[in-house]
Amino acid sequence: MKGLYLLLAIKAIKANRLKTSLIILSLVFSITSIFLITSISNGVISMYSSMLKSDGDIIITQKNISDTFFSNVDIKLIEKIETLDEVTKASALIVGASMVEELPIVAVYGVTKNRFENYNLIQGSYPKENEVLLGKSIYENLDKKDEIKLSNKVFKVAGVFESSIGFENGGAVLNINDASKIFNKSASMIMVNCKIDTDIEKLALKINLFDKEIEAKSTSNFVDNYNQFKIIKTSSNVISFISFCMGLLTIASILSITINQRKSEFGIKRAIGISMKKIILQIVNEAVILGVLGFFIALIISNLALFLIKNNSFLQGYVNGEISLDITIFIFFTTLTISILGSIFPALNASKTDPIVLIQGDKI
Amino acid sequence: MITLKNVCKKYDRDFALKNVNLNIKKGSFVAITGESGSGKTTLLSILSTLLKPNSGEIVFEDTEYKEIKNIDKFRQENIGFVFQFHYLINYLNVKENILLANEKASDKSIDELLTILEIQKLKNYYPNEISGGQRQRVAIARALINRPKVIFADEPTGNLDSKNSLNVFNLFKSLAKSGVTIIVATHDKELAKLADITLEVKDGQL
Repeated sequence: MKGLYLLLAIKAIKANRLKTSLIILSLVFSITSIFLITSISNGVISMYSSMLKSDGDIIITQKNISDTFFSNVDIKLIEKIETLDEVTKASALIVGASMVEELPIVAVYGVTKNRFENYNLIQGSYPKENEVLLGKSIYENLDKKDEIKLSNKVFKVAGVFESSIGFENGGAVLNINDASKIFNKSASMIMVNCKIDTDIEKLALKINLFDKEIEAKSTSNFVDNYNQFKIIKTSSNVISFISFCMGLLTIASILSITINQRKSEFGIKRAIGISMKKIILQIVNEAVILGVLGFFIALIISNLALFLIKNNSFLQGYVNGEISLDITIFIFFTTLTISILGSIFPALNASKTDPIVLIQGDKI
Repeated sequence: MITLKNVCKKYDRDFALKNVNLNIKKGSFVAITGESGSGKTTLLSILSTLLKPNSGEIVFEDTEYKEIKNIDKFRQENIGFVFQFHYLINYLNVKENILLANEKASDKSIDELLTILEIQKLKNYYPNEISGGQRQRVAIARALINRPKVIFADEPTGNLDSKNSLNVFNLFKSLAKSGVTIIVATHDKELAKLADITLEVKDGQL
């Protein structure tokens, strides 16, 4: 019996090819945009947070700043921090950006020497004064590979490193003193490593007492509360929701038109005693089949689009999104929700078709 | 089998049916005739549960229509419909169109029915692949698959030539002989003569 209803749904889908194609197309557009916006925003957040989490239990920034780009912390604070028993290492980082050759924006990291070990050298050596260490992807993009101009200052390329984090792989690393001159600041943030069993939150409070202009937070606390991540997440959710609504409205409107044209079909079903529930089920079945089909097409297109984005040399790996199993499952259920919600009202309308329309044949 | 007592139906202010009293016996072949707008289709719609009267009583065997709780089940178990336009579903073949009315129907019972209606070779054909007369036979097969107690047909020959029209009426006649009550609305007085009883509706009255 269930087989018959599935067969009916499949045959109805095949019979209404134009409208079926329109529904699938609109679903593919909305699901692909949800896939891309979610995975790209998650990718950006994951890249930056893994960069921050890669070294340091505590992050110190200037108090009340909206973005680490605007933070300025006195690097001398490192000396004070290193006097604390719980601390094993303190390092500083300047985060900036500059134009390089044809590339509109390249991330620039000014770091203290004790952070160099974080970069996996594949060629040359770590940079000395007026030298720079380049990420693999930006190095491959450069026409002139022995020197690079950052903010009107020319640096000699000392070496090349490779990183799995797109922001680093497409960036330039230099000594913090050189970066300080370019960006006119002491340090964007200070990272602190602690001994095992240290109460991180307690230590952060202790560090906060050194300077009223700073804000020390555990790395996980910092990442969870970083405003930029919240903005990215919120924007992504808003765009995803708009795509969800677009998909929903398109399915509802196309199905409504289809159902209006199939009035005699539902009328005869009602006349021969097929229950309203079964009519609703058939239409929802049709929408769910289209939804599942649209989902798999969108999954393939999204993976293809992300692969192209990731391997586009112009983007240097800065835009990097991966479709995780969590995202896939979430979007699959979102698709089912779109299909069911989008079809339920047209289905209800169809199920209410009064078979008297069959007697008034000319009015159908 | 079906009894109407003082049935009235009004559209806006005009009476389509006025105090109709009627008693149709089981296994009879009834033709309802009348001019266009006389009320014959309204009468058929009320008899077949598709339309509710404004007043009066309709009793099907021992059940009053007002007391029917599940109209879908009632129609499926008791009534078969044949319309002027066959209303077969174009994307389903003949067998699937019949199965729609009774998803539990066996292949054997469908084959038997198609053989009686002389369309057994059309089982896997789609409605657009067969003639008008054949389509109407498929519609009759769909109406019969549930072994209904009564078949209501509204202008079933309206789109058929005279030969096919006669075939359909002869088919109804033989069905009535087998115990199925047949109630047909038709404007064709010659064909109506083939029925056991002819009821003429004029200005909403019999």
